[in-house]
Amino acid sequence: MIPVIGLFVGIAAGLFLDPSVPVALQPYLPIAVVAALDAVFGALRAYLDGIFDDKVFVISFVSNVVIAALIVYLGDQLGVGGQLSTGVIVVLGIRIFSNVAAIRRHIFHA
Amino acid sequence: MPRATTPPSDVLRRLLDDAVDDDYGAAVSDRQPGNPTLQRPAAAAIVVVVAFGLLVGIAAGQARSGAPQEARERSALFDRIENRQVTIAALTDRLEQLRQQILDLQGTATEGNERARDLLAGLTTARALTGAAPVIGPGVQITADDAPGGQSGPEGKVLDVDLQVLVNGLWQAGAEAVAINGNRLSPLSAIRTAGRAITVNYRSLSPPYVIEAIGDPQTLQARFIETPGGQAWLDLQTNFGLRFELDSGDSLTLAAAPAPRLLIQYAQRQGELP
Repeated sequence: MIPVIGLFVGIAAGLFLDPSVPVALQPYLPIAVVAALDAVFGALRAYLDGIFDDKVFVISFVSNVVIAALIVYLGDQLGVGGQLSTGVIVVLGIRIFSNVAAIRRHIFHA
Repeated sequence: MPRATTPPSDVLRRLLDDAVDDDYGAAVSDRQPGNPTLQRPAAAAIVVVVAFGLLVGIAAGQARSGAPQEARERSALFDRIENRQVTIAALTDRLEQLRQQILDLQGTATEGNERARDLLAGLTTARALTGAAPVIGPGVQITADDAPGGQSGPEGKVLDVDLQVLVNGLWQAGAEAVAINGNRLSPLSAIRTAGRAITVNYRSLSPPYVIEAIGDPQTLQARFIETPGGQAWLDLQTNFGLRFELDSGDSLTLAAAPAPRLLIQYAQRQGELP
């Protein structure tokens, strides 16, 4: 229950306080969100599987976001920013889908 | 582990199998065997969840506020452009009225005065010649356009130099007044590319380009074809498919050039009036 409340508090804070993101960091925000989404759905699935571990969650979340941002940065520097970002989105997207499918099986048993 | 039996080439399958980080499994096997039940998330996990929410919220806020901001600026610019255009139109009308008034006053002022009448006649000719006054007369009408059918690239497009050689050819063939898409050429007019459009008298033109020239109806068309400009355009027509049509006109009306294209600041008349 507490994590769900925390999630909504975070979203509300982000929406209403509207903290300004430095222009230099703005390109990394969308892909960081996707990476974070992957970590969160992975954690949710692990929780339902009964193997959740908060140390793993914290580390996977932080490293996912950092690595995603690093890949975008690297792509920008190499001049292939768009393609590398697409690769990251595809991989993370597939993982999110299969994790959500597992979560769905847990909840609806279907 | 299922990974050992999966062919390494089957990347997508591996991606699907490993969707949950292996670390969760590893963390469970590290734990004491007596405690495999669900664990309450600790403070660190909650902090991370709040951070995640914050990330999502900020991204949503950015996506929401970014687009309307641009749209607002765009429409504000459009409004300003329209306002200025209305102002320009009003000022142009006023200018036209005043110019007509000057002509009327000149007419009345010179009545009964021989020398004044001569001067006025000379002025009228000069005004027609320089493009300061609208003119009417016979001549040719040329329609030029980009090559039809998406033949893009510079070859299929009418360039500013193409119009320049065309107009040059018309002068050479004896044209007395020339206008492109209704923009009368004055001695100070330039035909040039600005951005993606060709401009004449600082007005952007869009194809098709209609060039009207007043001159001897018997010879203008034939002589124009003989000029280098006419020849160049026949080449463009056959080699690059540009549209090039010549029509004779019995009564072409060419408007006056805009006032800024008739102003001189540095050149001064030398000697006495005739």
